Amino acid sequence: MIIAKQMDVRSNIKKYFDMAYNGEAVVVPRKENKNIVIISETMYNEMMSRKRVTEYAERIASGVMEKAAPKRERPSDVRSFNLGKLEKIAALANGWNGNGAPAIPKELVERVRRLLHALTIQPEIFPTALCSIQFEYDNTRRDHMEIEIGAGEEAEVFIVRYDGTEYFESVSADPDAINELVGDFYG
Amino acid sequence: MDNTFPAEEKLFRAVYPPEVVEMFWRFDGKVSSAAFADPRGLSVDREGERSFRQAAASMKERFDGRILFLRVKNCTEIGALVRYLPSPDNPYHSEIHGSESAVLLSKVQRRHLADKAVIVS
Repeated sequence: MIIAKQMDVRSNIKKYFDMAYNGEAVVVPRKENKNIVIISETMYNEMMSRKRVTEYAERIASGVMEKAAPKRERPSDVRSFNLGKLEKIAALANGWNGNGAPAIPKELVERVRRLLHALTIQPEIFPTALCSIQFEYDNTRRDHMEIEIGAGEEAEVFIVRYDGTEYFESVSADPDAINELVGDFYG
Repeated sequence: MDNTFPAEEKLFRAVYPPEVVEMFWRFDGKVSSAAFADPRGLSVDREGERSFRQAAASMKERFDGRILFLRVKNCTEIGALVRYLPSPDNPYHSEIHGSESAVLLSKVQRRHLADKAVIVS
């Protein structure tokens, strides 16, 4: 481990990056103990791997094992599956979440039904206690997109990229706009 | 118990509606972030002084459907607050709020909690 002043690192950044790349941890002390450590990607990956193993061992030791996720086969006809699920969402009564959530309005159910019929790529759909229905998409890059359809003309869009970057936008809640958005997401 | 929550304390949540158990489960086996949108505050039972098994068993006795848990640190690391709000019939009742001034969790917070949630049953 090497301790280097911030100014020294700034003026000799290549030297310290090379040291880190070759396996040395470079500690840069800062005020109020807000210190920084520069390490190589290899060392970082090893640390994260050890952390995951440790967390797994802790879970076993505490008897808290994550149950196998109840994975389900993606239906061959997702549109039919979604339309069936939408009927179940439409049937939810007031207070369906155990905490006073209102029933999903019929107009919203109809709107989502029309969207599902028109969307080229089908989402997974979920009700919310906010009188809205959430569409979720995941692409092969491991990006995640949520489109929240509510009473308004605009749908709220939330995207989390594989690297953790987050984006918010709104889009017109009509089939053309959503098809274009989803096309871009998978493109 | 008071309003102090250790970072590793577990918070148990029953995912409704019990009559449609798979409503919030995605094809990949994860819970949807939509299950964490509650404008009245996300009700949970804190583990408290109980063992994990005792707390989980208590949840299973009182709720149908799926039970999951989060850790307090999962909430605090994204700026959400855990409030201890015991009720006469549930001394472990607590709520997760978006912030001091907002009860509803933000989309970012909901997504994070959905990602961290561990299924108990």
